Amino acid sequence: MAEKGPLKMSAKELISGLVSAKDVEVLIGRIAMEEEWEPLGPTPFPQISTLRSWDHLLLSRYKPFYAPFCDYCCLCTYGKCDLSKGRLGACGLDMKAQTARIVLIACCIGASTHLAHARHMVDHLIEKYGEDYPINLGQDIAIEMPHARLITGIKPKTLGDLAYLLNYCEKEVTQCLSAAHTGQEGNYIDFESKALHVSMIDHLAMEIADVAQIVTFNFPKGDPNAPLTWIGLGVLDLSKPVVLCIGHNVSAGVEVIDYLEKAGLGGPGETVEVAGLCCTAHDIVRYRDQAKIIGPISDQLRIIRSGAADVIMTDEQCIRTNVVYEAQRVKTPVVAVSDKASYGLPDVSELPVEKIVEMLVSGSTPGVFLPDLEKAGAVVAITAIRMAPLRQKFKIIPDPPQIQAQASGCTFCGTCRRNCPIDLPIDQAVFNAKKGDFELLSMLHDLCLGCARCEQVCPRKIPALSLIEAAFQHKIKTEKYRIRVGRGPILDTEIREVGSPIVLGEIPGVVAYVGCANFPNGAREVGIMAREFARRGYIVTLSGCSAMVASYVRNEEGKTIYEEFPGTFDRGGVVNVGSCVANAHITGAAIKIANIFAKRPLRANYEEIADYILNRVGAVGVAWGAYSQKAASIATGCNRLGIPVIVGPQGSKYRRMYLGRAEDKESFTVYDARTGERVWIGPAPEHLIIALETMEECMVWTAKLCIRPNDTTKGRMIKLTHYVDLYKRIYGKLPPDLHYFVRTEADIPITFKEEIMRYLKEVGWKPWEKPSIDPTLLKRLIRAQV
Amino acid sequence: MAMTVKPWQWGNVPGHEMATPVKGDVVAKLVKAAKRPLLIVGGASLKEKLGGKLLIDFAAELAKAGIPTVATAHVYKALKDRGVEPAAIMTVADVTNRLQDPNWSVDGKGPHDLVIYMGVSYQLQSQMLSTLKHFATHLRTLSLDRYFHPNATYSLPNLKEDEWEQVLNNVIALLKS
Ligand code: SF4
Ligand code: SF4
Ligand code: SF4
Repeated sequence: MAEKGPLKMSAKELISGLVSAKDVEVLIGRIAMEEEWEPLGPTPFPQISTLRSWDHLLLSRYKPFYAPFCDYCCLCTYGKCDLSKGRLGACGLDMKAQTARIVLIACCIGASTHLAHARHMVDHLIEKYGEDYPINLGQDIAIEMPHARLITGIKPKTLGDLAYLLNYCEKEVTQCLSAAHTGQEGNYIDFESKALHVSMIDHLAMEIADVAQIVTFNFPKGDPNAPLTWIGLGVLDLSKPVVLCIGHNVSAGVEVIDYLEKAGLGGPGETVEVAGLCCTAHDIVRYRDQAKIIGPISDQLRIIRSGAADVIMTDEQCIRTNVVYEAQRVKTPVVAVSDKASYGLPDVSELPVEKIVEMLVSGSTPGVFLPDLEKAGAVVAITAIRMAPLRQKFKIIPDPPQIQAQASGCTFCGTCRRNCPIDLPIDQAVFNAKKGDFELLSMLHDLCLGCARCEQVCPRKIPALSLIEAAFQHKIKTEKYRIRVGRGPILDTEIREVGSPIVLGEIPGVVAYVGCANFPNGAREVGIMAREFARRGYIVTLSGCSAMVASYVRNEEGKTIYEEFPGTFDRGGVVNVGSCVANAHITGAAIKIANIFAKRPLRANYEEIADYILNRVGAVGVAWGAYSQKAASIATGCNRLGIPVIVGPQGSKYRRMYLGRAEDKESFTVYDARTGERVWIGPAPEHLIIALETMEECMVWTAKLCIRPNDTTKGRMIKLTHYVDLYKRIYGKLPPDLHYFVRTEADIPITFKEEIMRYLKEVGWKPWEKPSIDPTLLKRLIRAQV
Repeated sequence: MAMTVKPWQWGNVPGHEMATPVKGDVVAKLVKAAKRPLLIVGGASLKEKLGGKLLIDFAAELAKAGIPTVATAHVYKALKDRGVEPAAIMTVADVTNRLQDPNWSVDGKGPHDLVIYMGVSYQLQSQMLSTLKHFATHLRTLSLDRYFHPNATYSLPNLKEDEWEQVLNNVIALLKS
């Protein structure tokens, strides 16, 4: 059964200790301790090259496409090396390998970030609740951690098991990162294989982090009816003290809420507003839905400068790195709780709460580093209450009458625009404001990333971002939307209901809008696309900042998508899974479809499940505004599992896509598992990751990338109906690649039948000889051989 | 040409070799001299305004002057409305990917020698030009957008709107003459 590699062996072999490698012995020990809940699959605890052959299979169809960001490599002291136009670096590296190396490094950063987050979370929770605290997601979720089971072969039962799994993840990330050292890996495909590996680990790390917090903090456990809560810049009651939590690790936010409740100050919003930015916001409302979500990362400077916060608590990831400086400008003290982001602040862990509060309130320090979370909870709550009357929401965003005066120095030199990451006409907006016309400034509010790069470079020191905010102030109160609290995993019962219609194609697809929303018009476009696909009966899932911004677009009746559609993982459902780490539940759902519906063995059986998903589960990820390294690893992890991803135009700066070539028929052949014959299946899905230009193009591709070789004729007809309908609406004609997807006449959408038949005749289409096969890329799954 | 130009986006400094800035008649001559040019028209052409028209209007004229054209993003309909049937509708990544292949051409009539980008948003275009710079050394690339693209072989420098309009009109006139 074992193909190769020390870990590809049966449970019996493992248990009888046939292998002697040292780290394998440890694994044998752990696997042997595991109850036999399912026969052990071929790849428990895969190492850096265990799944290499799967990666090479994928990458032979979806070839890496590189768009280098820079001609040089400057990673070692031989450099800088000019690698442009085919030149090699002093170490022998070429540009493809170097670009792949940067992608690998990005994926390692992304994975290690979720992993370090998970480690911090799990260690903290073990300290608080003990290592035997059970992993229980309720009776409707028997497969509580599909990634853990699939990748490692372990069924985690306690927090202690999660800590054990983290050891494995940490080892793999270290291995992958070490491959990026000068003079190690030199081949771009093998760099990519390592990027795929570490990104698979990322999904496991995310799953660990989210499950740990769900079970201990009692977040919704896959509840489709998780409550609705508030989001937006206008949600805060500014007559109350405000705590603003920024980051991704909710452990500290929970301590603030616990302190308020224990001190008799009521839940969030009663005497003190507790609000969040970025994923920590998702998670505080999963803890108490009276807490508030301000919005995504792009709202950070806006809200800080608005002076609303009486204290800012930062945990980790996606925090403005000059948060202390910006907070100081509005007299808001900062409490940093993560050792990964301590901003040069004094460590006050040893001081009593009162003393720390005194330091913050008196302003003797702009902030403190306080990794003791319980203490931080108390300090933050008390400081907010004491600071509020002193600060009186002191702000630096000018009042509208001051806009013109502050813009008066503008020379329309264009420097701001030429440094704006998204090329906004901020120069024109400021120049218009100088002349008394604020309309363009106000319009930029919805497009701007809030990064303030424009201010940094302005030779006249004009605070352009603050001016945008000032011009928008009169509308802030209306910035208030309803969003469903992140529900966490998909229920096994839901998977049982939808497994068949998804795999057969009758539910046309699962579309996941994930990650950040950093691009012009990002929020609006994610909202429009999510609504379009929910209305078409796709299952729409969302996470992170995309889940937030999708609520900013209301329907004709003024409802957000969370009010318009049910939260069930079913046809036309809109499912907010939660924060970034909850992304693991979206990929987890795909894994569960293969296992629960199709009964494919799950345990340590990565290749087979990924092969199943690639060929049968019409799921697509859309990271329309992704900016971070975490997004790189999340997307790449989806890819290894056979899920294609679309990124927005800025996503081209990730420098690498995995692109198929539809006309290369050989690359789109698979085995028919029944006969072993190689069969062409059409370019479905055509790409594994691609950057697209416009929302319209993205919608067409979203529908197309849901097509899978395994669709039944009815399913293919439904999928093609949406693809053709969108294509015709946007391009005004039939898609030119229809002949790649119509296998027999029965696949043709009835509404467009005549037109399509005419087209097919024109291009000489003939019904496929083998329209229905059992597709697989894995030779070992061919039944005829067995 | 002695003109030195800063990349439109200040941070977009890829290396010491950057595009040759071209303007005036040189641009028109470059395009005219190409044996197998390819025009790639992107989604920003539907928004960019110049001389009271949209950039897509100029792209359509270039296409009508006989340059095989790829419609990326969702510009097909707008080209069609202007009387142009592009040789292909593709994503900008798809066409750029294929252009790395020295034997590929959009119409099967032999490899291209000059690839012209127009109306693909700045950052995305810059990345596509980078791909071709590094991995398609058999090709020359030209950006006809208003702003300097260091990753191209030739690029317009950062132009005023009326200068840009004039360059485009020159190219169209020369091709049609
Ligand atoms: S790692 Fe290699 S390519 Fe990079 S600077 Fe060093 S020698 Fe040059
Ligand atoms: S950089 Fe400053 S002076 Fe120049 S256009 Fe922008 S706001 Fe005006
Ligand atoms: S703050 Fe907005 S306008 Fe200024 S550089 Fe950033 S995105 Fe551009």
